[in-house]
Amino acid sequence: MAKFLLYITLTISLLPFFAVSFSPESPIDRRVLVLLDDLAVKSSHSLFFDSLKSRGFELEFKLADDPNIGLQRYGQYLYDALVLFCPSVERFGGSINVASIADFVDSGHDLIIAADTNASDLIREISTESGVDFDENAAAMVIDHTGYAVSNTDGDHTLIASDDLIKSDVILGSKNIEAPVLFQGIGHSVNPANTLVLQVLAASPSAYSANPQSKLSNPPSLTGSAISLVSVIQARNNARIVVAGSLSMFSNRFFRSGVQKAGSSTKYQKSGNQEFLTELSKWVFHERGHLKAVNVRHHKVGESDEPAMYRISDDLDYAVEIYEWSGTSWEPYVANDVQLQFYMMSPYVLKTLSTDKKGLYSTSFKVPDVYGVFQFKVEYQRLGYTSLSLSKQIPVRPFRHNEYERFLPAAYPYYGASFSMMAGFFIFTVVHLYSK
Amino acid sequence: MAAAAETSSDRTLRNAFGGVLSFFILLLIGVLAFSIRLFSVIKYESVIHEFDPYFNYRVTQFLTKNGIYDFWNWFDDRTWYPLGRVIGGTVYPGLTLTAGTLWRILNSLNIPLSVETVCVFTAPIFSAFASWATYLLTKEVKGAGAGLTAAVLLAMVPSYISRSVAGSYDNEAVAIFALIITFYLYIKTLNTGSLFYATLNAIAYFYMVCSWGGYTFIINLIPMHVLLCIVTGRYSSRLYIAYAPLVVLGTLLASLVPVVGFNAVLTSEHFASFLVFIIIHVVALVYYIKGILSAKMFKVAVTLVVSIGLLVCCAVIAVLIALVASSPTMGWSGRSLSLLDPTYASKYIPIIASVSEHQPPTWPSYFMDINVLAFLVPAGIIACFLPLSDASSFAVLYIVTSVYFSGVMVRLMLVFAPAACIMSGIALSQAFDVFTRSIKFQLPGILGKSEFDAGDTSSSSVVAENDAAKPDKSEEKLKERPSRKNKKKEKELVEKASVEKTSTKSKIEKRLLVLPLEASVIALLLLVFLGAFYVVHCVWAAAEAYSAPSIVLTSHSHDGLHVFDDFREAYAWLRHNTEVDDKVASWWDYGYQTTAMANRTVIVDNNTWNNTHIATVGTAMSSPEKAAWEIFNSLDVKYVLVVFGGLVGYPSDDINKFLWMVRIGGGVFPHIKEPDYLRDGQYRIDSQATPTMLNCLMYKLSYYRFVDVDGKGFDRVRRTEIGKKYIKLTHFEEVFTTHHWMVRIYKLKPPRNRIRGKTKKSKTKTSATSSPRKSVATKKNPWH
Amino acid sequence: MARSTSKDAQALFHSLRSAYVATPSSLKIIDLYVGFAVFTAIIQVVYMAFVGSFPFNSFLSGVLSCVGTAVLAVCLRIQVNKENKEFKDLPPERAFADFVLCNLVLHLVIMNFLG
Repeated sequence: MAKFLLYITLTISLLPFFAVSFSPESPIDRRVLVLLDDLAVKSSHSLFFDSLKSRGFELEFKLADDPNIGLQRYGQYLYDALVLFCPSVERFGGSINVASIADFVDSGHDLIIAADTNASDLIREISTESGVDFDENAAAMVIDHTGYAVSNTDGDHTLIASDDLIKSDVILGSKNIEAPVLFQGIGHSVNPANTLVLQVLAASPSAYSANPQSKLSNPPSLTGSAISLVSVIQARNNARIVVAGSLSMFSNRFFRSGVQKAGSSTKYQKSGNQEFLTELSKWVFHERGHLKAVNVRHHKVGESDEPAMYRISDDLDYAVEIYEWSGTSWEPYVANDVQLQFYMMSPYVLKTLSTDKKGLYSTSFKVPDVYGVFQFKVEYQRLGYTSLSLSKQIPVRPFRHNEYERFLPAAYPYYGASFSMMAGFFIFTVVHLYSK
Repeated sequence: MAAAAETSSDRTLRNAFGGVLSFFILLLIGVLAFSIRLFSVIKYESVIHEFDPYFNYRVTQFLTKNGIYDFWNWFDDRTWYPLGRVIGGTVYPGLTLTAGTLWRILNSLNIPLSVETVCVFTAPIFSAFASWATYLLTKEVKGAGAGLTAAVLLAMVPSYISRSVAGSYDNEAVAIFALIITFYLYIKTLNTGSLFYATLNAIAYFYMVCSWGGYTFIINLIPMHVLLCIVTGRYSSRLYIAYAPLVVLGTLLASLVPVVGFNAVLTSEHFASFLVFIIIHVVALVYYIKGILSAKMFKVAVTLVVSIGLLVCCAVIAVLIALVASSPTMGWSGRSLSLLDPTYASKYIPIIASVSEHQPPTWPSYFMDINVLAFLVPAGIIACFLPLSDASSFAVLYIVTSVYFSGVMVRLMLVFAPAACIMSGIALSQAFDVFTRSIKFQLPGILGKSEFDAGDTSSSSVVAENDAAKPDKSEEKLKERPSRKNKKKEKELVEKASVEKTSTKSKIEKRLLVLPLEASVIALLLLVFLGAFYVVHCVWAAAEAYSAPSIVLTSHSHDGLHVFDDFREAYAWLRHNTEVDDKVASWWDYGYQTTAMANRTVIVDNNTWNNTHIATVGTAMSSPEKAAWEIFNSLDVKYVLVVFGGLVGYPSDDINKFLWMVRIGGGVFPHIKEPDYLRDGQYRIDSQATPTMLNCLMYKLSYYRFVDVDGKGFDRVRRTEIGKKYIKLTHFEEVFTTHHWMVRIYKLKPPRNRIRGKTKKSKTKTSATSSPRKSVATKKNPWH
Repeated sequence: MARSTSKDAQALFHSLRSAYVATPSSLKIIDLYVGFAVFTAIIQVVYMAFVGSFPFNSFLSGVLSCVGTAVLAVCLRIQVNKENKEFKDLPPERAFADFVLCNLVLHLVIMNFLG
């Protein structure tokens, strides 16, 4: 009996912790499945994995063709994020394939893909599904004869040092990454018409993608800054994907090595890889740049409850609260460019919301003189941030028949005339009846 | 003298008798009018028909639930999304207010009829009222006998039945009654010169303005008649009393109705009334001065006034013309212009041209709609001239103008029907008069009675006929023709007594209008047969042709009656399986029904007031899938509804209406070009169809998976196999298709979560299986 | 020519005047009433020409009330005038009652439309 009570008390006292750890509030991914070609990668890339573990992620390492792996069981996803460090896998084991990975992303989970030279068609296919195109030549690598990293071993200039990083504090953190990033692998291109994909690390203008072993017979198809070394994709449901063309850029060797870009005299003790990739992983796993908008309120000035319908030329207030996830808690999001549209096929009113620095954004305006079914629309899309798309429908009615102005001074003569007619009629009847 | 006294008391007895008889006949006519319209309720169910009545029904529901102030100010946000529609200001409230009042009265008497029942039966009730109003009107024109004939003809005329069956809850149901009553009160005022009737006339006109846009017919016909009377020298002060207060009060009352508002004074449709108003004042003044001056002075006055007045007149007319010509349509609305110039609509306003009710009627439709009356109308016109009075000249003018307008738009056959009934009633009753009088005149000779003088002859022969008539009456069948025959004689006598005819004159009359006995008997019989054919035709038309509710379709096949209830099935699906705020896009025909039955917001509906919005939907239906998806997405549409008749052979489906989508869309968006969809000048959907046609959204949504039905994709309406059989939809997905494939509902797919790269999907399967171990050799050493 | 027309005009004027003086006083009262109504209408039209037609419904109701009153009074005059043969057997009380009814309706509508 006592044991039973003990167990009960224990479970109950531990419940809050369970609740917190599985809280749906925090968008952080906790369980990550890492698929590897070779279990040696687990130790050769341990610095990267350790940085993830130190931030609270549970990593599960599996071989890519392990027949027991699966992303979901009985309709529930077993993992919250997927890391594919298996550039040469031809077929995944278990129940994972391109379609299931695509569904995984479409249900809101994040993905990191690292390809490498001779990446398999499967990895290329997954990357195409995400929105980037690797060079079709399977054996091509990125070669840069003016931006390569000075090294004692490699002579074919496939080890390049790139510092063409995207300028975004959200994606790469507020600290400036001084040292260039070492890269050795394949390049991919990004369709400029694709609004969801961003080039995070691009090659220098002198790079090109070709097979280093064979002679160039045709001009290479991918050249210059069009070659993207690392790209990120933020899907419409705010799932984030990182596609990198080199697995070795995540390795301990590259993290620890010094770097000197050819043609520049500065030699850095440590390459920028660790900083770059750690910050990028923070972004991918939603520790930065994840916004939520809650508590949309609108009401007429002076009232507090939300009406079902407005009238033209009404004055109204609108308020919304926007928070950003800091990795551990929701912080108020501060910005001065969140705009509200009062929209009916085109915006009739466009106002910038003013913030009180504690996450509340509000404004007030006058309903335009047009009646119809309007929408309060907040469309907020900034580089690196999740997109906010709020829309609330509200009808706007015209004046009622007794809401117009009455007793206009301009019309007094007409009122006077009508009343004089009535008075005249009255007098006339009296006169007509009684004169005789 | 004693004989005269006896005849006068006989006469009053006969008058009383006649009065009671006519009362019961009118009651029977009312019952006939009501019951002949009940076929649709018996054959199908008590349901509201067509499209427009659903809107009226929804408005009536709102009115009964929320009261008149909310109804007056109602802003409907569930239609014409996102523009909304101000119902209070764009609907003719007469019908809904009438039904609402009826419902409220019944409810307060504790008769709990539902709003739907009241709406369904409003039209038959008002058609009974309309036939009584026709009796009153024709009585003013010609006499009570003609009145009864006209009333019974109107109760059954198919043209009126077509728009007032039980379930056809549309404006015309009460508007025709209002029209006839207004005319009756006008003629009554004209005949009596009483201001009381003038007031009633104005109020009846107000009711007409509330009910139907066709009130412009009244406000132009009456001034035309006044002008006619003035021009033919029949001006009298009664004319002034009949016309002038009507114009003033009528314009005021018309401006009260929000739909009309200031149009009552600003549009060209009303200018005729103001012009004639001025003219009648001038004429009245002229007559007044003529009355108080001597003839010579009057001539002087005329010359003086004419010279000055002409100058002033020209100036005023010049100003008026400048004002009117400054607007492009010269102040006329689109619909009125299309009435005046039948080719206007097809050139400039395809929306008006596309409504099937606005097409000109064919010749057979005249015979179908008024049947025998088509022959009787010319006879009636002649009968009106025989003594030409103000009232009969009005009747002639009415029939002439309504014939013209009915030839322009088939919908206006409805306005022509009462005129035809009046004329035919007059003609029939005159014919009966002549024949029965001939028989009566010659009957005493046969019965061996001696000659009396004219007055006695008529009275005694009437007594004789009365005795003969009584057994007639006892064998009266459902058809009241024999009683009509008696009525003629009674009423003709009363008429004769009231009008001061001298006996000699009547003798002369009798001498002139006598036909041989056999001929008149046969003619009478033939007229009776004519009436019989008319009745048979009317009942057939009411039962077979005009009772279909068009929301439920039936067809007879070898294994019985098939009922196609697909429309209601689709609306019920929408009602139960979509969110309340979801928007449904379809062609405008189905807008009213969707809002009323499915209770979902629609983009365009039958009101067709905004051509650009309709053109947007038409363009979307004619565009390829992606462009259509963009257009619908910009309008926040969630579901698209398409009507397809190819499986069962329903001819009014969207593919047949497609040409209007292209035309209306192309009228506003020039990138839709009609020749792109035509092959040899025809819209085709078979293998000869143009690629634009085969790729457009309407084609894809109509024929998606159609080939799975019979393997060949044979369209029963167009009677060919379809051109493109295997259709893939990339931006839409099918969510519902009704039992007979008549209504198909599709949902817009949300935008893709990820945008694919440009690399084509390679067939990696074979290469993967053939070289499973290839990767081992190229596996990189991660430590390097 | 002008002299003869002016003489004619004068003669015309005289005869009109003399004929009018002969009318009974009750009809003259009605004529005065009509004149008052028409005069008020003209004032309103002139005012509208200056100020513009902004509250158009007030303008319309004002003018139409004057015109309506005038028209109804003329109708009454027609019916009450003993020289009018058509209305010989219409009792003047009945005519007056109709007149009052019509005016009531008119003024009710005016009041509704005025605001």
